[in-house]
Amino acid sequence: MKKILLLGMVIFLLGLLAACGGGEESSGGSADETLEAGSDIEDATELTFWTFAGTHAEFFNDAAERWNEENPDRAIKLISETYPFDQMHNNLLLALQSGEGAPDLVDIEIAKFPNFLQGDIQLESLNDQLDPIIDNFVTERLDMYSKEDQYYGAPTHLGATVVYYNMDIMDEAGVDIDSIDTWDDYVEAGKQVLESTGKPMSVIPTNWYGFWPYISQKGSGFFDDNGELTLANEDNIETLKFIDEMVNEHEIAVVPPGADFHTEEFYGFMNDGGAASMTVPMYYMKDFTEYMPDLNGKIQIRPMPVWSDSDIRSVAMGGTGTAVTSQSADVELAKEFLSFTKLSEEGNIQLWKQLGFDPPRWDVWDDPEVRADNEFYEYFHDDIFDILLDIRDDISGVNMTEYTPDVLEELGANVLHGVIREDNREPEDALKETAETLKGQMQ
Amino acid sequence: MLETPTKTNVEVNRESSRLKRMLNFLNSKKVVPYVFILPFVISFLLLTFIPAVQAFVMSFQKVLPGQTTFIGWQNYERILNPTFYKALSNTTIYVILTVLILVIVPIILSVFLDSKLVRFKTFFRASLFIPSLASIIVAGTIFRMVFGESEVAVANQVVTFFGFEPVDWRYNSWSAMLLMVLLCSWRWMGVNVLYFLAALQNVPKELYEAADIDGANVIQKFLYVTLPHLKPIVIFVSTISIINGFRMFEESYVFWETNSPGNIGLTVVGYMYQQGIQQNDMGFGAAVGVVLILIIFVISFVQLLLTGAFKRGDE
Amino acid sequence: MKSKKQTALKWTINLSFVFISFIALFPILSLLVSSFRPASDLMRNGISLTFSLSELTVENYTYIFTQASEYWQWYGNSLIISSLTIVLSLFFSSMVGYSLAVYDFKGNNFIFLLVLFIIMVPFEILMLPLFQLFIDLRLMDTYLAVMLPLIVAPIAVFFFRQYALGLPKELMDAARIDGTTEYGIFFKIMMPLMLPSFAAMAILQGLASWNNFLWPLLVLRSNDMFTLPIGLASLLTPYGNNYDILISGSVMTIIPIIILFIFFQRYFISGLSVGGVKG
Repeated sequence: MKKILLLGMVIFLLGLLAACGGGEESSGGSADETLEAGSDIEDATELTFWTFAGTHAEFFNDAAERWNEENPDRAIKLISETYPFDQMHNNLLLALQSGEGAPDLVDIEIAKFPNFLQGDIQLESLNDQLDPIIDNFVTERLDMYSKEDQYYGAPTHLGATVVYYNMDIMDEAGVDIDSIDTWDDYVEAGKQVLESTGKPMSVIPTNWYGFWPYISQKGSGFFDDNGELTLANEDNIETLKFIDEMVNEHEIAVVPPGADFHTEEFYGFMNDGGAASMTVPMYYMKDFTEYMPDLNGKIQIRPMPVWSDSDIRSVAMGGTGTAVTSQSADVELAKEFLSFTKLSEEGNIQLWKQLGFDPPRWDVWDDPEVRADNEFYEYFHDDIFDILLDIRDDISGVNMTEYTPDVLEELGANVLHGVIREDNREPEDALKETAETLKGQMQ
Repeated sequence: MLETPTKTNVEVNRESSRLKRMLNFLNSKKVVPYVFILPFVISFLLLTFIPAVQAFVMSFQKVLPGQTTFIGWQNYERILNPTFYKALSNTTIYVILTVLILVIVPIILSVFLDSKLVRFKTFFRASLFIPSLASIIVAGTIFRMVFGESEVAVANQVVTFFGFEPVDWRYNSWSAMLLMVLLCSWRWMGVNVLYFLAALQNVPKELYEAADIDGANVIQKFLYVTLPHLKPIVIFVSTISIINGFRMFEESYVFWETNSPGNIGLTVVGYMYQQGIQQNDMGFGAAVGVVLILIIFVISFVQLLLTGAFKRGDE
Repeated sequence: MKSKKQTALKWTINLSFVFISFIALFPILSLLVSSFRPASDLMRNGISLTFSLSELTVENYTYIFTQASEYWQWYGNSLIISSLTIVLSLFFSSMVGYSLAVYDFKGNNFIFLLVLFIIMVPFEILMLPLFQLFIDLRLMDTYLAVMLPLIVAPIAVFFFRQYALGLPKELMDAARIDGTTEYGIFFKIMMPLMLPSFAAMAILQGLASWNNFLWPLLVLRSNDMFTLPIGLASLLTPYGNNYDILISGSVMTIIPIIILFIFFQRYFISGLSVGGVKG
């Protein structure tokens, strides 16, 4: 028995050693941890920033360094921490709920944003920063982070939804992608692709990516302007039928491996030429360059095909809003820094240059710095922003309410899985039943 | 400024005798047990009782930053929805399957491991136990890769070898349940085998000899001698399995985190976590918790009643 | 004739056990082998029975030893938290179990019922209020926050009580005559007698703490406070690209424990058989 106690001691000591060792090393900095900027400046005000994407942390850090050069009298020491997606949002909710422990700045993903606009809102309004420059924005994007005319989130990108075509497959099938104008054309092209290459034309995830962009493009949504639930309206039922037919009748679309666009399984599938095209917001560019190196030079970007009864060319989807929390010790500084980082012209140019995001400010789309050659032009093609400018006025946004997260949850859990993957529910029944369930939750 | 008066001799004496009395008091047989259980009582009050009361109160509230209000039974009324039923039915099926598997199979295995028929007992015992050493995250990561969707993942290689179509393991209801039950059984089988092995040591050997004289065969001996002696441990293991089954969350989390397609992996605790924490609806989450605790109490009680755990004596 | 039948039976049973052991060990063995394959390929295609030897690489391991300082930080956190939890929970739980078994005092039965009651209450239900409590106590993101709920473990109390019931009471009386205090009796005389039960509980409590997931997930916030399960789970995200740490890190999480178990399994099994199964 003494052996065991002895062993316990040894483990304990080892533990201490490991902890000390690790502690020293971790300041060296590696892939997935805390980043610091401006720590060498005296009297710098400390700001913390939480995010779930390591690239955003780097982006903010870079901005902090630029800020410190331009504003030496108001220097910032920025501490950026990257957490797993769910954990970051949970921790933020609980910190705001309890009034303690929240950061100054935080990235909140669009599907989670409404959760933070309930009760006494614990985020700061950005209106004073936005008012002078708001005309330069595609405002549909800003509206997603607003409540009662107050804007709470600084957008990361416009997130215009487009179609990425794999030209190897399209050429093999002999389809001219510029002749695809409507979704019906798209289905016809899909049949041709399937026939001559055996590959699916499209991928439909069983979360909102497989539904929301399509209904928004029809001018529909989950809620109308008054916040009434419209999940089971005619347009939505029709759209879901259309998607259901693509997958289960014409079999020109499949559910992606991993059931989502952001999984390793899907990256592998797409990289190996698994599907001829995919419909996803512009911000997916970075995923292509990063995880699908084999498709370099083979991808063409086009606006979404249109529905016959609507002229909306694209929808602003997804995306992260950065917010300033009320717990910040220096709200003004945090807001100005956020504005500098993501709302200013320079900030928007950097969003493109560093992250490959389509900037929410359209006035930079023509900027020579944006047009200057970079890895994204190389991987895709040169006229990316001409496409955007062309459809600028035909981009629609979405109506968000505090129940949007519940809708997205139910949609993934109950509608799309049954209708699209298992093919054992009728679109109409699924939407109507789910709408009933949701109404019960929305008292 | 007040001067502290210097202590007189008498006072010092009085103090030291007070100390002595104090020590004697602390060492009396009447007080000692209370000292010993003090940490338990404190931790019970602080970590179980108060939170339980708070959870109960919270279940009648809408909890929002700065705007917490009492809303009566609304949270409970909302519980009666299809998603909760789905969570409850998943959990119930899971409990039934895991209890059956984790009681019956370990009994059979331990009886064999206890017999003279099996060699290398230590090795077999150890290899059955080792899976329980893997943390749920590691185990889940392995299972996800073994049961990958791709045709070259092990499970699908085996399935196609027998001439079936590859399966999307994580996206069908039946295979989702299979994954969770399999993961749980894999991890806990060895532990339960050990419990039963220990219990088998307590079966008096004379009983087997007597049974031999009566001409009983192997199966009769198992049914009439071994099983009755295993009864207490069967009750123990099945009670623990039922409670743990209803509390299940992690076996689902490692496959789908908190959002499984079609809610095929949603459990009651998962639902509580999803609504209470992720969707910022703590009052509703607490109400789900209260309902769960009632379910566990009722079922454990019925189970203990049926298996006769409350009966004393030895019929 | 009979012996031939016996041998056949023996072979069948032994072979089935070989098969069962193989199934039990397969996931861990396959992880071990696969950890020498490129991590992103594993995440994309899963563990495969067939792969070419030429793709084997030690890259996952070189990475974890050279780049992944946070992994070792997590390892350290887990070791510290687990060892402290073992020491503290055995200390407190044995005290409670012991006094429930050897002393007749008012409320004894009530406390014992409470212990059984807590075993039944799912911890998950208390989680939300506990979380708020810990924020009020300013314990978020500390080792203590992770350990506290495990420190007086009802199962361990139950186990120790059962075990202490079998202790010889005459020793206590003899010691009292010698003038030993009640505390001295416990720490100097009875505790050593209870050591086998300590071994079994140390392993079970250690495992519970080492593998604890849901609670630390809530109370730990900064990356350098994470325990291994939380840290590893944080690598399962599409927003980072750290699968190599996940794979080799998983291996390095279980192998040491398996080795420890193999060395000490004798004590573990004897401890378990003496105590826990009485009831």
